[in-house]
Amino acid sequence: MAASRAGVSDRYTPVAILLHWLMALGILALAVIGLTMTRPSTPPGLMFKLYQLHKSIGITVLLVAFLRLAWRLANQPPALPDTMPVLEQKASGAAHVALYGFLFGLPISGWALVSASVFNIPTVLFGMVPWPHLPVLSTLPDKAPVEAVLKSVHNYGAWTLLALITLHAAAAFRHHLILRDGVLLRMLPTRRRPQPESANAMEPRRS
Amino acid sequence: MIFSRKRTASLALGAALSTAALAGATHAFAADWKIDPAQSTLGFSGVQTGARFAGKFKRYNAVIAFDPAHPEAAHVTVTVDLASAATGDAQRDTALPGKDWLDVAQYPQAKFTSSSIRRTGAKSFEAAGTLTIRGVSRPATLPFTLDINGPAAHAKGHLDLIRTAFGVGQGAWASGQWVALQVGVDVDVVARRSN
Repeated sequence: MAASRAGVSDRYTPVAILLHWLMALGILALAVIGLTMTRPSTPPGLMFKLYQLHKSIGITVLLVAFLRLAWRLANQPPALPDTMPVLEQKASGAAHVALYGFLFGLPISGWALVSASVFNIPTVLFGMVPWPHLPVLSTLPDKAPVEAVLKSVHNYGAWTLLALITLHAAAAFRHHLILRDGVLLRMLPTRRRPQPESANAMEPRRS
Repeated sequence: MIFSRKRTASLALGAALSTAALAGATHAFAADWKIDPAQSTLGFSGVQTGARFAGKFKRYNAVIAFDPAHPEAAHVTVTVDLASAATGDAQRDTALPGKDWLDVAQYPQAKFTSSSIRRTGAKSFEAAGTLTIRGVSRPATLPFTLDINGPAAHAKGHLDLIRTAFGVGQGAWASGQWVALQVGVDVDVVARRSN
């Protein structure tokens, strides 16, 4: 899909790089917090705080996901190398579509779960910004069965996203260590400021 | 002459004043008292996931008729605007007025009406009455100390309640697993004679 643009812009834009790594950090934190807060042995005070933090970070990731999608649509990502087989390029495209889907779907499933919770705990992002429950779910007469379903969805969704991220990271390392085609480097921050020419080259192009 | 007339006048005035003061003293304490909100606190406390928290009601009203010499004739009615509860935690304060907790949409006020007040010590009293929270009325007794200093009186008392006796904490909150069932009410008010 992007072979004709090869060599034109070989890196993601600094904004795309920043959003990618911010989100990576957020997801890592969410996974660690999520696994800790659901352990029955976690002390209740800590458990409660971790849930609130998990909700705050999760909603932040959802908001950043919108930013990312908007940026991605306005700024075409760099082309994959010509050396990549078409099938791999297609697989890469599908994996990225799936990753994007989870960046929205998983936080929304968590939001839905919080809204349908029998505890009906208000969300206040980082203890400061009130965040509403989703309509309908928060006013169900019998929340428990809906909450149970959403809990499973969020739980299995989280493990699926972690599996996808593992695949994503493994592919990046394969490109870097085995194929040595520089694909990983496109998403790493660089200290050098881009030259004006390359800045021009980053303008979106459509093949 | 003038001097002595003045003196007589001042004596008469003094006599009149002291008579008035004495007359006032006999039923001064039988008077009504008005709470000074600036110096008063109606607080509450609880324990959430093992950690104590405290808050207060910003709006409440009291009708107090009290004579320490005749506490049996006293009568106190306190109404509390439950929506004014604040604990300084945005999340807790969002949850508190909700349906599971105080349900202020349905029951905007809590009310205490004394039925009998008796002296239990030199400066201590006990107000027995009915406490209504969230539409549930139960007998409650508030022990309090009272310091009267001229026109002002300082009353201090503490009352422990079981929140679920009033339906505060519904559904998943009806157990003490996350929020302890026992909550404290702290009364610390300064009242002034209003007549």
